[in-house]
Amino acid sequence: MTEPTPGPTGPAGPVTEPTPSSTPSPTAEPQTAPPPAGEKTGARLHPLTPFVKGWGYFVVAAVAMVNNESLRTNLELAGIGLLAVLVGGILLGALSWWFTKWQLTDEAIRVDSGFLFRRTRIIRFDRIQAIDVAQPFVARLFGMAELRMDVAGGGKSDGKLSYFTYDEAGKLRSLLLLRAKGQHAVEHDPQQPEPEPLLVVPTSRLLGATLLSSTVVASVGGLVWLIVATTVLDFHIGLFAGLPLLLGVVQPIWKQVVGNHGFTLSETHDGLRTKRGLFDVQRQTVPPGRVQGLLITEPLIWRLIGWSRVELDIAGLVGNPADGDDAREGAQLLPVGDRAEVAGVLARVLPGLDLSRIEMHQAPERVKWLRPIGWRYLAYGADDQVLVTVRGWVSRQTSVVLHHKTQSVALSQGPIQRRFRLANVAIHTPLGPTNAVALHQDVNVAAALVTAQADRAREARRTAASSAAVHTQPNPPSPDGSSSSAASPADDSSAM
Amino acid sequence: MDDLFAPSDVSWTPVSPKLAAVRRVNAAIIFGVLAIVALIALGMSLGWTYGVLGLLVVAGGFAWAWVLIGRNQRSWKYAEREDELLVSHGIMFRQLVVVPYGRMQFVDVAAGPLERAFGIATVELHTATPATDAKIPGLHPDEASRLRDRLSALGQAQAWGL
Repeated sequence: MTEPTPGPTGPAGPVTEPTPSSTPSPTAEPQTAPPPAGEKTGARLHPLTPFVKGWGYFVVAAVAMVNNESLRTNLELAGIGLLAVLVGGILLGALSWWFTKWQLTDEAIRVDSGFLFRRTRIIRFDRIQAIDVAQPFVARLFGMAELRMDVAGGGKSDGKLSYFTYDEAGKLRSLLLLRAKGQHAVEHDPQQPEPEPLLVVPTSRLLGATLLSSTVVASVGGLVWLIVATTVLDFHIGLFAGLPLLLGVVQPIWKQVVGNHGFTLSETHDGLRTKRGLFDVQRQTVPPGRVQGLLITEPLIWRLIGWSRVELDIAGLVGNPADGDDAREGAQLLPVGDRAEVAGVLARVLPGLDLSRIEMHQAPERVKWLRPIGWRYLAYGADDQVLVTVRGWVSRQTSVVLHHKTQSVALSQGPIQRRFRLANVAIHTPLGPTNAVALHQDVNVAAALVTAQADRAREARRTAASSAAVHTQPNPPSPDGSSSSAASPADDSSAM
Repeated sequence: MDDLFAPSDVSWTPVSPKLAAVRRVNAAIIFGVLAIVALIALGMSLGWTYGVLGLLVVAGGFAWAWVLIGRNQRSWKYAEREDELLVSHGIMFRQLVVVPYGRMQFVDVAAGPLERAFGIATVELHTATPATDAKIPGLHPDEASRLRDRLSALGQAQAWGL
């Protein structure tokens, strides 16, 4: 395929293509500008790709064949069926692999795919926010990796390119990073040397923390009661409840211990970086300017030990509901940590933040008619940088919202609250775990808080705007690579 | 105590009474269907006395809705402060939303067939979070487009990244 690309103006879009020449002519013609190292024209992915992608399919086909009684009695038919399925699968996979090609142009990476419906996706370098090399479990067994490009305004699957060999993926990542961000980004590329870990959460603590979390404790309690009831009281009806309860025990353990296995926090030039997972290693970078808010969760038993969990809202990381993306997890900053660790992590994310110094305002005592136990734990507080709200007595949630990230403020009151002269104040932040609501405050206090918060947000926006000059070009060659890269709202919408 | 949800340091603009009219027509359609269903279903199964009784209950519900809609319409108001848009509404469930112009992602102006027939429109302000509920129904179309243009202009001028 020859070099020229029909001026990729849009970020992506289906473009009908002429039939691709199956032999990428290795150009002997001398080019005026020497092509950068690693430049390829219409390269294919790794030949093992269809197998790695479709391994589940093969397993299912085989299992279905083996387990099917009627087929087992008729072995010949089973053999033919299995063969047909396998051959068909291999053929489809091979076709899809053959017709998938990627190439780098001057300003974009371009992926052609599909053999019935041709599809060309062009991702411009300046729209790429972050590039990660990921290794799902099966891919890791084969030493392969996929490239994940985080595209502004795009869904999760928009920027995936799989699979390469691990080395190849790393090389391509550096190359793309060079094109997308300039030379400096590669020089202190966070992935080349694995940065010194600040903090590693031991698996034993993950396990302990999960076992002591409210869901698991409640589920275990329910399960024990159920077993006792069944055996001693001869009470069989509730046996069906056992399954969801068992799930309530196993699922969090699996998620925590496997998903967060070896949770490592390290500091890089681009911000804090987390790495976790036993089978599917996941990496996330938290650019300091893009933290919208954070949530500290302390389940009942954890509070006695002094453990808590810290999660973040990050612009751009949370799934876009319009794309049917359900990944609303935000970023996990610390799955479980003791007080000193939490304080250390918070200080790194929001320098100057000291939760213990913020004066908290309790909800008035008459709230006990609405929340007999929980009213003691409802509180809010603010300093010149953040607003903090606390709620919940089984699982205490502390939400921290930055003033200059506040989207909107709402005061609301229901009929019962009105009788007690109470009101809620909600501070809205972009999608994420943070849920900053000052529940059941006195009406006058709440109204004052709304006004004060609006003023604080305005002040914070002004000061932050004058000092950081965030409102710049969509793709500024940011000198330190860490300043907030959020483009103006108008730009974001055009990127969608 | 009312002014807690509508601070008096800004000038509040009420929405058009036509909003109540639109909602009453809407309610009339819904209650009308309900009335017919109640009349026929009860009349056929239990006897027409009950059918008429059901009709009366639905009529009572409609009268109640009529009053509530009027009260609710009068509760809607908005104010344009220097940096923020304020929207206040509700009688039973009261709410005051404060949205800085600079946080605005886009503005929607919408009008359904019924709203168009009565000559009103709804302006909705969207920020980066769906939690923001800044919607102003019952605006005159001219006022709606004026508000839209003004909000976009202010949003542009004070635009602020995430």
